[in-house]
Amino acid sequence: MARVELKHVSKSFGASQVVHDVSLAIEEGEFTVFVGPSGCGKSTLLRMIAGLEETSSGEIFIGETDVTDAEPSDRGLAMVFQSYALYPHMTVADNMSFGLRMTHRPKQEIAEKVARAAKILRLEEYLQRKPAQLSGGQRQRVAIGRAIVRDPKVFLFDEPLSNLDAELRVQMRVEISKLHTMLGNTMIYVTHDQTEALTMADRIVVLRDGRIEQIGTPLGLYHDPDNAFVAGFIGSPRMNFLSATAQAGGRLAVGGIEIQSPVPTRFEPGTTLQLGLRPEHLDLREGPGLRATVEFVEALGSTCYLHATLATGETIVAERRSSLPRTGDTITLHFAPASAQIFGEGGERIR
Amino acid sequence: MAGAGKRQRLSLRIAAIPMGLLALSCLYPIFFAVNNALKTRHDYLLDRFGLAMQPTFDNFVQAWTRSHLDQYFFNSVITTAGAVILLMVISSLAGFALACLRFPYRRFIFVVILSSLMIPVQVVLVPYMRTMVGLHLIDTRIGLILSYTAFFLPFSVYMMTAFYSGLPRELIEAARIDGAKLLQVWWHVMVPLGMPAMITLGILNTLNCWNDVLIALLTMQKNRTLMVGISALKGQYSDQIPLFTAGIVIAAAPIVILYIIFQRRIVSGIAVGAVKG
Repeated sequence: MARVELKHVSKSFGASQVVHDVSLAIEEGEFTVFVGPSGCGKSTLLRMIAGLEETSSGEIFIGETDVTDAEPSDRGLAMVFQSYALYPHMTVADNMSFGLRMTHRPKQEIAEKVARAAKILRLEEYLQRKPAQLSGGQRQRVAIGRAIVRDPKVFLFDEPLSNLDAELRVQMRVEISKLHTMLGNTMIYVTHDQTEALTMADRIVVLRDGRIEQIGTPLGLYHDPDNAFVAGFIGSPRMNFLSATAQAGGRLAVGGIEIQSPVPTRFEPGTTLQLGLRPEHLDLREGPGLRATVEFVEALGSTCYLHATLATGETIVAERRSSLPRTGDTITLHFAPASAQIFGEGGERIR
Repeated sequence: MAGAGKRQRLSLRIAAIPMGLLALSCLYPIFFAVNNALKTRHDYLLDRFGLAMQPTFDNFVQAWTRSHLDQYFFNSVITTAGAVILLMVISSLAGFALACLRFPYRRFIFVVILSSLMIPVQVVLVPYMRTMVGLHLIDTRIGLILSYTAFFLPFSVYMMTAFYSGLPRELIEAARIDGAKLLQVWWHVMVPLGMPAMITLGILNTLNCWNDVLIALLTMQKNRTLMVGISALKGQYSDQIPLFTAGIVIAAAPIVILYIIFQRRIVSGIAVGAVKG
């Protein structure tokens, strides 16, 4: 177990810079998720921690040691890859014991550790099989087993569930979370799937274009995002953003109605803002109401999502648990102004 | 449907005629050599194309003992095996480096190796000879092993690089994170995974080295290899065709046997580099 710290870390490939001055501390035993859209630099950042990519500038510490220029093999990490990266010519047991064999550990110890990992991951009956004879979920468990066996200071996961089908993904998500609880190791997990981030993380790091947008707990990010990007990225369906104009007397014109501004900040009348409303906050019986025409009803069983158009032409998604309208109906979506979040034109949160 | 099947069968039969002739043109010389190797000189002069009526192995025994083919055979085995092993080790290491590691001028080095593929052996014979003489490697088996390795290395490196480029990078990365040093990655991951390409390479290089006359003739002038020895037999015993064909059979047999054992590998292996590169 160890703490991981990045100090002003940057990475360039030739002329293009993909990671910009990232500073970040991951505490001992913490489960941290790097999340962001494709190309945001999250995998590159993880690979820099692993030592698979050189760090252009800045420093990386694992524990008390500066590992910025250390070989991957000397960093004491274990990594699980999206493609599993199992050695196809070795049995499951050999795959799992590879790291221990490379460092010439006693046979007795290797056997014990492999047996323990196989038990944790329920792989005992597959130990003599080759990876080609396993299913996707089993292969991913072997890849995790290979990491566990080495007792690493830090576990790194690079989109480990992306190659699995939806059902298996949910199951593995739970298993990895349980594993974290059981082993207590520091874990860094990269994903583009915000659901994975929300359900697994102690702390989430949201990245965009190689910069950290916000760091926080899952619920912290969900309820109190620092900017429109984080607000839109975390949560599914995503937050609705409506164009709002400041009026005199602390009022805002939005979606064809006027509401009292939920923030104490006084705006110049005429200032353009964005009002963020989560779909589940539009299911009230009272409060200000937005008139909307239902375009499509997405029924998911326990809940429903209404896709609708406002008088201003903006589209909006609202959650509805009872009394479903039909396509083409005109409805009123009530909400409490206090639940709305205000963002400036550049996307920054105004509190 | 039945009509289509019939037509297809017919066209296959028509195609079989030139194929059969081609096969015959390859097989007849082998038959000729084996058949005449079993005749006495007298029988051969009477009927060179007829079957050997009283087959005898005298020619083989004579060629093997009196014409020093035993010694030549030994030379060929040593030099071919030495060069093939050296080629496999070096090309696998080089292929690993060129395909998987990042270092300055990597592409440039690869292009230089590739371009040396385009230079025919004949062009460099004079500088080659001077180098060999200067290094006192003439008439040594080591000299020939090194020469074969040098001449066949570009293609081998090219093929291993192409093969290794097709392997997922993550395998190497996983091994490095697992604590393996570069040589350990090569030995435990790249060598086993590269086996299909290396076996193909081994066979092709065995053929090349074993069948070579030119380089061997220059390098091993007194202490000959089998192929050089056979060529010499032709001059020494121009009236001894059965003895000569016996020598040919002895020289060709190991390669033919190797080819029969590995024929599937040879065909599928040649495509390996092509598809994955």
